Amino acid sequence: MEEHEILLKLDRIEKRFPGVLALKSISLDVRAGEVQVLLGENGAGKSTLMKILAGEHEPTGGTIEVAGRRVTGLTPTLATELGIGLVHQELSLVPALSVTENIFLGRMPTGALGRIEWKKAHADAGHALEALGVAIDPTAEVRTLEVAEQQLIEITRALERGPRILLLDEPTSALSDSERSRLFDVIRLLKQRGHGIIYISHHLSEIPMIADRVTVLRDGVVVATLPAAEADEDTVISLMVGRQLAEQFPKATVTLGAPALAAENLAAGHALKDLSFTLHRGEILGVYGLMGAGQAEIAGALFGLQPARAGTISVDGLPVHFRNSADAIAAGLGLLSRDRRQSLVPMQPIGPNVSLSWLAGKSLLSPLDLPREREESTRYIADLRIRPASTTHNLFFYSGGNQQKVILARWMSSGASILIFDEPTRGIDVGAKAEVFAVMSRLVAEGASILMISSELNELIGMADRVLVMRGGRVSAELPRAEITQENLLRYAS
Amino acid sequence: MTAEQNPDLAAEAAENRKAKVRGMIFQAGPLIALVLLMAYLSFASENFLSFDNLSNVARQSAFVAILAVGQTYVILTGGIDLSVAAISALAASITAVLLTQPLVMFGMDFGFVPVPLAVLIGLCVGIVAGALNGWLISRFQIPDFIATLGTMTAFRGAALLVTDGLPVPSFNAGRQLPDWLIWLGGGQIFGVPVSALIALICALAGWYVLRYTTLGRAIYAVGGNRAAAHSSGISIARTKIMTYAISGLLAAIAGIILVGRLNSANALMAEGEELRSIASVVIGGTNLFGGEGGVWGSIIGAAIIGVLGNGLNLLDVSPFWQRIAQGVVIVVVVIFDQWRRRSMTKV
Repeated sequence: MEEHEILLKLDRIEKRFPGVLALKSISLDVRAGEVQVLLGENGAGKSTLMKILAGEHEPTGGTIEVAGRRVTGLTPTLATELGIGLVHQELSLVPALSVTENIFLGRMPTGALGRIEWKKAHADAGHALEALGVAIDPTAEVRTLEVAEQQLIEITRALERGPRILLLDEPTSALSDSERSRLFDVIRLLKQRGHGIIYISHHLSEIPMIADRVTVLRDGVVVATLPAAEADEDTVISLMVGRQLAEQFPKATVTLGAPALAAENLAAGHALKDLSFTLHRGEILGVYGLMGAGQAEIAGALFGLQPARAGTISVDGLPVHFRNSADAIAAGLGLLSRDRRQSLVPMQPIGPNVSLSWLAGKSLLSPLDLPREREESTRYIADLRIRPASTTHNLFFYSGGNQQKVILARWMSSGASILIFDEPTRGIDVGAKAEVFAVMSRLVAEGASILMISSELNELIGMADRVLVMRGGRVSAELPRAEITQENLLRYAS
Repeated sequence: MTAEQNPDLAAEAAENRKAKVRGMIFQAGPLIALVLLMAYLSFASENFLSFDNLSNVARQSAFVAILAVGQTYVILTGGIDLSVAAISALAASITAVLLTQPLVMFGMDFGFVPVPLAVLIGLCVGIVAGALNGWLISRFQIPDFIATLGTMTAFRGAALLVTDGLPVPSFNAGRQLPDWLIWLGGGQIFGVPVSALIALICALAGWYVLRYTTLGRAIYAVGGNRAAAHSSGISIARTKIMTYAISGLLAAIAGIILVGRLNSANALMAEGEELRSIASVVIGGTNLFGGEGGVWGSIIGAAIIGVLGNGLNLLDVSPFWQRIAQGVVIVVVVIFDQWRRRSMTKV
């Protein structure tokens, strides 16, 4: 490792925003031909650091050296010229344009008189995609593609600019396992060619798969950089949170009660073809499936957000028909949706976000219960340890984990006893994950039921009483707790 | 959960207070601009700060201010109501016709409609016209801009039909407008214009509904994040219809008061005022994309536009330049607002 040249060197980088010190002192280096995994809880400063490297923010202190030369006044253009490529956490594609146009955005090959050479562009895009082993039609409109495919296009776009240093900000959060391993193949290839890669992830299980070195950030400081071999999960987690996690999965043993929610031959959307299950009181029923196996449609269909094409739903043994989410909420359901941004009102503080579900089915002329809203939000802030513990900050300023806790508070306060948790830990950090799991255990102990739709093998193994495995829109297996293993989940899913 | 003491709460309370103060200063931006503008004008023109002049400004701004309250609601949901001025004209025309001419329908003469009924019909026309906007938008999923652009034209047409394209009251038929209506538009109580008082009441009611009712919350939620509102069981269609109906009602109130001030109604009255109401809302700091803002900012926005026009008049600036100045102010204020928003959302 030592013989490789240092592509990028950061020395005591500091970034101060008005009122916040986001990065205190970051020193690290990236060498040619290595993958450095950057870990840290939400708010540790990973994304800020990426933005500084991509020239989107200017550091308020410290120095950046690229290939031995000190760089100041980094702008996105300069970063690209220096060979730094960033793949954003959030998709930044233009949905109405074709794959080709997105890959070459602003740099379409042109001929005489600036006429775009479409044939060449599509061919080039096709080659670029092929190099990644991706079979996507370059002429397709991006909005017609799956999220995972869009993610791959995003990566292709960054690679097309020929970066020496590639920054990947949680590139696998939307990818299925097979897509992920394809991406890892590409990363290994880039590594061999001498690229240096910084890879941000929440999946600790990815460390042995891809990392050469691991750097852990906490509160804007690098707490440690270690070789991948020494970065086992326990070590890394304790470095990240600064304390030993008592237990990542505090699974409580609960005696199952009467059926709470049941579906019979449910079909909805394109992907969900046939789903039957019975969820009991006190049970956490997991649902696992690879991308496109139909599990993404379940929540919407059960919650009255999307009409079911076929099948019946019953609550507490009685058949129900939800015309909209207000009906579902009245029946005692609650939904943690897979995209947190679909649940939050970002420019409002905690109170209105918590009490939003209370408004369901109410007359628009009825008064608000502001004292209760105040009381309950203060209580949940303390109860769920929501940070910052503020009733005036808009939710926009909260980290993903804390936003998720606010949504949890929303359904706990509405008295929902049948909870649909769709990817409950997507994009939240290890500490917050453990807290979400603790809340889940507490809820089922109090007699609630949880349908836990997840693509995280570990959390299903850790939390679920039973798991339904989906394949091609149907249930391919039902695994009792003893049989929930990585091997079984993957075998029945693919 | 017991009343567990949270050690961080006390420390963060101080931070909260700071954030609150900062938020208040930011929100006070339009108010500060108004005060500075007035301070400048009181030095630049000796007539500006007189009671008569200020009450004149208030009387003239009342119409736009009332429209701006309804417009605030609509913009908070992420919509825009281009038809408000047309609804004003339609409601005002209908009320004025009913007040001055005997009702003739289907070839039958019903005589004069009782005065309260005439006003009530005018207000109902506003509500129905507004609700129609909301219904079109939510039922057919068309953009608010397009729906209200269409109804704006149609409502003007309806007003032309009602008035036959003539000013009301006309010279050759019917009776004059009642004195109380003239008083509403131009009268005063202890020197304060009645129309400005009505605008103030509308703003108070508007503020109350936004702050204390389910509808208010629903409006902020729909504008702040439609998907979140939807999945939390809030009916977006009902919220939209109600919001536009309120905008329509306020437009009708404003229209009837304007008839009193002008002592006349006609189908083309208040043309272009919908844009001034939108400008008031934007100057007042409400986010054009919805979810953020409030009624008082819009009232201050309307006052800024009113004071600016009056001040430029007093300073003998030509009306042509006045328009340019107004345009510049709108753009400058929005630039400032964007800058403020960016500085607040940087984390």
